[in-house]
Amino acid sequence: MAAGTAMTGAKGYIGRAMKRKEDPRLIRGLGRYVDDIALPGMLHAGIVRSPHAHAKIRSIDISKAQNAPGIVAILTGEDLRGVIGPVPCAIQMPNLKVALRSVLAVDRVRCVGEGVAVVVGAEKYAVRDAMDLVEVDYAPLPAVVDPEKALSKGAPVIHTQHKDNVAYKWELEGGDLKKAFAQADRVIKQRMINQRLIPVAMETRGVAAEYRAGEQKLTVWSATQIPHLLRTQISAMLGAPEHSVQVIAPEVGGGFGSKLNVYAEEALVAHLAMRLARPVKWIESRRENFQTTIHGRDQIVEAEVAVKNDGTLLGLRCRVIADLGAYFQLLTPLVPTLTGLMIAGCYKIPAVRVEITGVFTNKMATDAYRGAGRPEATYIIERVLDLVAADLKKDPADVRRRNFPKPKEFPYASPTGLVYDSADYQASLDAALKLANYPKLRQEQERQRKKGRYIGIGLSTYVEVCGMGPSSAMPAGGWESGTVRVEPTGKVTVLTGSSPHGQGQETTFSQVAAEMLGLAPEDINVLHGDTTAVPYGIGTFGSRATAVGGTAMYLSVVKVRDKLARIAGHILSEDPKHMVFEEGKVYSRTSPKKSLDFAAVVGAAYTAKTLPTGMEPGVEATTFFEPSNFVFPFGAHVCVVEVDPETGDVRLQKYVAVDDCGHVINPLLVDGQIHGGIAQSVGQALLEEAVYDEQGQLITGELMDYAIPRAADIPRMETARTVTPSPVNPMGVKGVGEAGTIGSTPAIVNAVVDALAPFGVRHVDMPVKRERIWRLMRRGKETR
Amino acid sequence: MKLSGTQELRARPGDVWAFLNDPQRLVRCLPGCEKLEPAGADRYRAKVKFGLAAITGEYVGEVVYAEKKPPTAMRLRVEGKGTPGFMKAEGRLELSETKGGTQVAYEGDAQVGGLIASVGQRMIEAAARKIIQQFFECAGKELKAVHRQK
Amino acid sequence: MIPAAFEYNAPKTLEEALRLLDRHGDKAKLLAGGHSLLPLMKLRLAMPRYIIDIGRLKGLSGIREVRGKISIGALTTHAEIERSDLVRKHCSLLSETAREIGDAQVRNRGTLGGSLAHADPAADYPATMLALDAEIAAASKSGSRVIPASQFFVDMLTTKLRPGEILTEVRVGPLPPRTGTAYMKLHQPASGFAIVGAAVRLTVSKAGRIEEVRVGITGVGLKAYRAVAVENALQGSNAEDKVFAEAARAAAQGAEPLSDLHASAAYRTEMAAVFTRRALHRALGRARGKSA
Repeated sequence: MAAGTAMTGAKGYIGRAMKRKEDPRLIRGLGRYVDDIALPGMLHAGIVRSPHAHAKIRSIDISKAQNAPGIVAILTGEDLRGVIGPVPCAIQMPNLKVALRSVLAVDRVRCVGEGVAVVVGAEKYAVRDAMDLVEVDYAPLPAVVDPEKALSKGAPVIHTQHKDNVAYKWELEGGDLKKAFAQADRVIKQRMINQRLIPVAMETRGVAAEYRAGEQKLTVWSATQIPHLLRTQISAMLGAPEHSVQVIAPEVGGGFGSKLNVYAEEALVAHLAMRLARPVKWIESRRENFQTTIHGRDQIVEAEVAVKNDGTLLGLRCRVIADLGAYFQLLTPLVPTLTGLMIAGCYKIPAVRVEITGVFTNKMATDAYRGAGRPEATYIIERVLDLVAADLKKDPADVRRRNFPKPKEFPYASPTGLVYDSADYQASLDAALKLANYPKLRQEQERQRKKGRYIGIGLSTYVEVCGMGPSSAMPAGGWESGTVRVEPTGKVTVLTGSSPHGQGQETTFSQVAAEMLGLAPEDINVLHGDTTAVPYGIGTFGSRATAVGGTAMYLSVVKVRDKLARIAGHILSEDPKHMVFEEGKVYSRTSPKKSLDFAAVVGAAYTAKTLPTGMEPGVEATTFFEPSNFVFPFGAHVCVVEVDPETGDVRLQKYVAVDDCGHVINPLLVDGQIHGGIAQSVGQALLEEAVYDEQGQLITGELMDYAIPRAADIPRMETARTVTPSPVNPMGVKGVGEAGTIGSTPAIVNAVVDALAPFGVRHVDMPVKRERIWRLMRRGKETR
Repeated sequence: MKLSGTQELRARPGDVWAFLNDPQRLVRCLPGCEKLEPAGADRYRAKVKFGLAAITGEYVGEVVYAEKKPPTAMRLRVEGKGTPGFMKAEGRLELSETKGGTQVAYEGDAQVGGLIASVGQRMIEAAARKIIQQFFECAGKELKAVHRQK
Repeated sequence: MIPAAFEYNAPKTLEEALRLLDRHGDKAKLLAGGHSLLPLMKLRLAMPRYIIDIGRLKGLSGIREVRGKISIGALTTHAEIERSDLVRKHCSLLSETAREIGDAQVRNRGTLGGSLAHADPAADYPATMLALDAEIAAASKSGSRVIPASQFFVDMLTTKLRPGEILTEVRVGPLPPRTGTAYMKLHQPASGFAIVGAAVRLTVSKAGRIEEVRVGITGVGLKAYRAVAVENALQGSNAEDKVFAEAARAAAQGAEPLSDLHASAAYRTEMAAVFTRRALHRALGRARGKSA
């Protein structure tokens, strides 16, 4: 196992663990978030929301609210009919039953929290008081919350233009499934639930907007992961010409996919700023965030695997019910299909079949949340592997190893149609087992069992698809832009279409550009998030910022360096091919004593007196990089838990993670992503669940009832790396933002099931809460 | 949430039935009830103030009687809507004579929505129990007064 | 998260506070540390018209020894109680309980008096007050009185305090020799409140018999209660784990365990027994370490 290696020489910034440039301002409270935007004459907006999950709106009486002090305007869905377009969904699929939400509800509400009116006033306290004075008369309708009930005969139909609650049916098949099951020595079945989660970014959503009537320019600040895509959509929704709309993503306090979207409030606030000719701001409360920001996961799967007695996997069939919520947000229907694409995990399974039914229910829309469909796939396949191992009485590590493709089989074509770029699953698993001292763990487990203590060991070997992605597979394009501009005095400005919100590209991109140009990271400034300053970009999600955005920047640095090398060669009368950029100087390898200051070479491009014939002045290059494939990080995790037989409490005793994201630019940041990803997995595995009651009320409505992990819940994580470069991009990087979350959840659940094996427990659904385990230990079979 | 239980009242079933069906007397046991106006056959509109320590709310709602089988059984539906949220409770009441008076058996379903549903989960069952308890305590007092009068 | 409008008053004396309280009646709420009231106000579950901020009143905070008892002012914060040497020396059950409340930020602001007056069914102090047979002093316009802990907790969010009364002081102790105490809690993982909290005070004779025992339990029902059935089963018995386990089985007797999103009544019932037994075990270990 090699530590992360630099891509170029031993002394360099690439591969170096450096503290982030972003942190000093964030730690000192000098970051500027949406709620810090304060403009003269700014108004505040508050949204009146439905307390019902499903209801007709009989009437809305705004008279009392309108007369309340300080209230400037109140709008309802009726006022916006035909004025603002619906909240968009970017996904197209054959036979997709589209269901879009209006910016404010018209006639009907279909989930708790749906906005029915917006109150605007000069001061947020007055607005909040006036919101209570808006009287909405609802005629409640029966709500349906359970997706299986929503599919059953007689269920209330949520979108009456469609005949039932089926949003779509999607299937994927590869290989000969019939043959696989016919040849099986045994078939193992399991029903599993991947529960609905709430993303809980530390910063809730927020939007501010200003319309400068003189210039006819609209500026929208939004806590978003996709400023350019958002601009295009707001322009379309409002009918405002795109070139006069500017979107700025200021400092964003976490997204995890929940801000990879186009929300009703973004268009609404922009419209209000134009309509009222004053700046307007809206900031979401935590309760609103829980109800109206997209939710993650929410799938029920019936999995069936055909195996031979030696543990060889022959075929896998999965029937998935995906609970999409009441309306589509930007990527809602797409997410479950990613589960289908990754269902085979890192195993050679000759035949697979996945059938997905997307269902409408009276809940908030699901959409991309850290992993977006891939944690669901990894959970299914990793639980299946453990079920196979348990049934065949084999070690789960051995069963996995038996089914890995070998490194020389890469690029490896999965039966789902994806081509995995590069991997060495054996090395990864071996490294993890060694680091965890696996044989000793098993011995210890035996010893403790005899003493009546229940230790469990769980494995997860995962692969995931990210670095989104080839444009043929991406709804709005999957390329990324990167501009590198060297200013006359030799400082470098990088403009990236990526939109980091915690990922640290200001640091990592600086490291790359600095090393390639022989400068220091302080000489590089990375700009992002402002659609006026930065060429069009697709944004940050799907672990793509470095693999795609970083590559675009890299290629632009190469172009800029080549140009500067030609200028230097021209000045020094040397071959540009031999130019070296090092420590602020440029010189030819063949005559190193004749060096030029980097700034001097750059200056020559601007004063334009000694340029090679035919060369344009200036030093700037832009690349739109189109990736030829996704990238596929992978790894192996080992988790050790102890279960308290009296209370069902689960304590994490040990966590080992060996992850491979290809070449590493900054190990600190990669570790940070892994740590954070694992923490979120602990949340899903043990603590979190968005619960709606039968009437469609979100009863886990605040952090008082929705438990997210604290530092004390996470053990010290032992992390290590393997490095298997990706052939997809010149830096050989894969993504890592979601890998930890994808790989970790099944390791934890596998550990808990392993701990409960003496009780005859085969499976536990998530979150594995204490009472659920307590009941299982007493009853010996899974109940819900 | 399912609500069921029994309460014993020291009064004859006939008196208990009369009390339960007399909105003007029932008013006194609906906490903070300011008005109970007829709104149709066996249907009444109410304005109720309910509080649990610092948590107070004003609700506007309805009380509807149905399936009356005097003097032993009936269905009751209570709905209320206010700033803290809305609630709907529906259930069956059965009265039977006992040595000490009357046993009132109730069985029903209550739904809560809005703010209280999203933040008050741990208190909802407790609050429901308390409301029922308070109602029966009050009913007991009202009926004792009647009993004494007789 | 914006409260409804209110009028803020910060009286300078207890008398002034009592006058304001009397004048505004149920339209007013007292504000001490604010960590029970402010969340309710921000959610608009509570909308008092008048806030009477007693947080700055002098003489209502501090920990002293008074005639052999530990006297704790109502405005003393949980953090101060947690850190107090005096409390740790004479009544460590209270230190241990304070440490379990919320988190560091809450403990720096929340007060003993505020928490007790609020009487959240899952708060930590009530179980401990019962186990310590604490005396709770309150003042009103007509004078002051002392309410024993055993009478103080009446119902969910309801105490024996009358309208117009302000809780001023809590007195505990002294504890006899060979007494051990423990507070053990099963945390609700999101809020940190008690799904079950068991506070135990155990006095053992030199021969190892249980001379006196108090078990206060919170989180299980509508209010904290004394597990009298457990106490009766233990009284006079040998202090040992086997006896504890058997007696603790009655821990939920007399309470009507609640069911909610986080724990069913059945689970609470059994956890009451588990945590009572664990607290008894720990208390015994401490009692033995304190032989007179």
